[in-house]
Amino acid sequence: MKLGKFTALMAGALLVLPCLPSLALDGVVVVNDGVTATLDANALKDIYTGKTMYWPGGQAITIVVAGDKADAALEAASGMNASAFKTHWQRLAFSGRGQQPKRADDVAAALAAVAASKGAIAIVPAGTEPAGVKKLDVN
Amino acid sequence: MKQIKTFTMAGAALAASTAAHAWELDLGNNQKIDFHGFASQGFIASTDYNYLGKSTDGSFQFTEAGINASYSPFNRTRITVQGFAFDTGKIGNMEPFLDYASIEYTFNDYVGIRAGRVRKPGGIYNHIQDLDLARTAILLPQGVYDARWRDFSTSIDGGVLFGTIPLGKAGSLSYELFAGLVTLSDDGGVARWIVDGSNNKFDGFGQPVSVGGQLWWNTPIEGLRAGAYTGYMDDFTFKLITPVSPVGPFGPINAYAAADAHVLLQQYSLEYTWKKWTFQAEYFTYEYSGNNTVNVLSGSTPIQPTSISPSKTQPDAWYAGAAYRFNDWFEVGSYYTEHYADVHQRSGSPNASQKDLALSFRFDPKPWWIFKLEGHYIRGTSLLEDTANNPQRDGRGWFLFAAKTTFSF
Repeated sequence: MKLGKFTALMAGALLVLPCLPSLALDGVVVVNDGVTATLDANALKDIYTGKTMYWPGGQAITIVVAGDKADAALEAASGMNASAFKTHWQRLAFSGRGQQPKRADDVAAALAAVAASKGAIAIVPAGTEPAGVKKLDVN
Repeated sequence: MKQIKTFTMAGAALAASTAAHAWELDLGNNQKIDFHGFASQGFIASTDYNYLGKSTDGSFQFTEAGINASYSPFNRTRITVQGFAFDTGKIGNMEPFLDYASIEYTFNDYVGIRAGRVRKPGGIYNHIQDLDLARTAILLPQGVYDARWRDFSTSIDGGVLFGTIPLGKAGSLSYELFAGLVTLSDDGGVARWIVDGSNNKFDGFGQPVSVGGQLWWNTPIEGLRAGAYTGYMDDFTFKLITPVSPVGPFGPINAYAAADAHVLLQQYSLEYTWKKWTFQAEYFTYEYSGNNTVNVLSGSTPIQPTSISPSKTQPDAWYAGAAYRFNDWFEVGSYYTEHYADVHQRSGSPNASQKDLALSFRFDPKPWWIFKLEGHYIRGTSLLEDTANNPQRDGRGWFLFAAKTTFSF
């Protein structure tokens, strides 16, 4: 295949792809008590896609994943399903470009991990009591 | 011995992966070092030709293992180190080496710098071409990501400037600009490719300088990104010795060849993840251009005038593929790829091209364990190499089967 044909194939694909609406975040964002930042949906997405790896004060962000209990919210925040999210971060971590999210077995373990780790953030199911951590409103 | 090394590493990764999601070393005062690792063991079998090992007999020489550590000692600063070992046929031999070791400072989202031994960008997979768990296929399209050429394509000793620039409603632009020195192995894939099928003895590489950059346009369409990569390698030099005659007027006659070239690489990529689908397409080419200088000596005495001849070659390759994730533990993918050894001569011999249709099945029984099965139908032999084990070639199609399992933590 010549480069021209390849370019045409790519351009054609761009034109026919649908423009998809964002999903609503069906979960609660919680952070370590030491985090003082505010977030909007775009900033949250930048964190969950690895474009932003530090809080404004410079503290490294540690993402904690609450098992599979908030997969839909994780997808809404990152734009990736749980499998793609995991692969995305493995790609970053094993090439020296990021720190893999910590995986907790359940919501309680995720809250405990966020409480114990400076700069940590997690998305937990809506209605979760944010014990020991700070709830962050996403504008 | 090699198999013992392999199984020891795989066993260590299995033990680690079943024990915890990751290892974490607590230094106190909220300072922690994270450890992650993986070990993959594969098997390749093929009809007709030996590819990526002695595959017509079935080959287990298809292994990767790595362990890395990540630590943030100060604000906006991260140190990462990865040790790695691999075996792809005759290449690698599970000798461990430092894959990357870098310190990174991120000024803000727009700009950061990473220095030390760093991974080079290059399309969708160059950063992670040996990371089996981060893709559906076992074998990446080999014309674009040759598993034997990782010393040429993956790491440099230098630095990377990186960041993401928001483009408003047009999405964002991520970039990685790099510069550094490439360390090529005299036993590596490129060296073996250079001498394949000849009686030349390889006599060492220089250390070329590599510069370039990767741009990714993250389009406003969720999950769609388009990339362009270019790299330039200067002072790509190597030496060969060709025995001509054991007897000459002043001693044995040998031809000493020295190549001095530059290499220009380009890659264009498109990736779209939509719901449970992933679609990918890439085009890759490089242009090698330089001069070969040959001196024929009897003992240490020149017996012919020095000859200088130009050398130029430009292969290219492309692929398009799709993968569908059915559920947490099952994914299917397929791609079609073509490689041409010379863009100016795309046909005329079995070695002019290699066309490959692949079908892959990935199973994730546990978050820390995957295994894959894969079939290939291939026509052409332009990527085959290993002439000693593939003396006869024709244009008929041939099959390759691969299986691989990976443990990670």
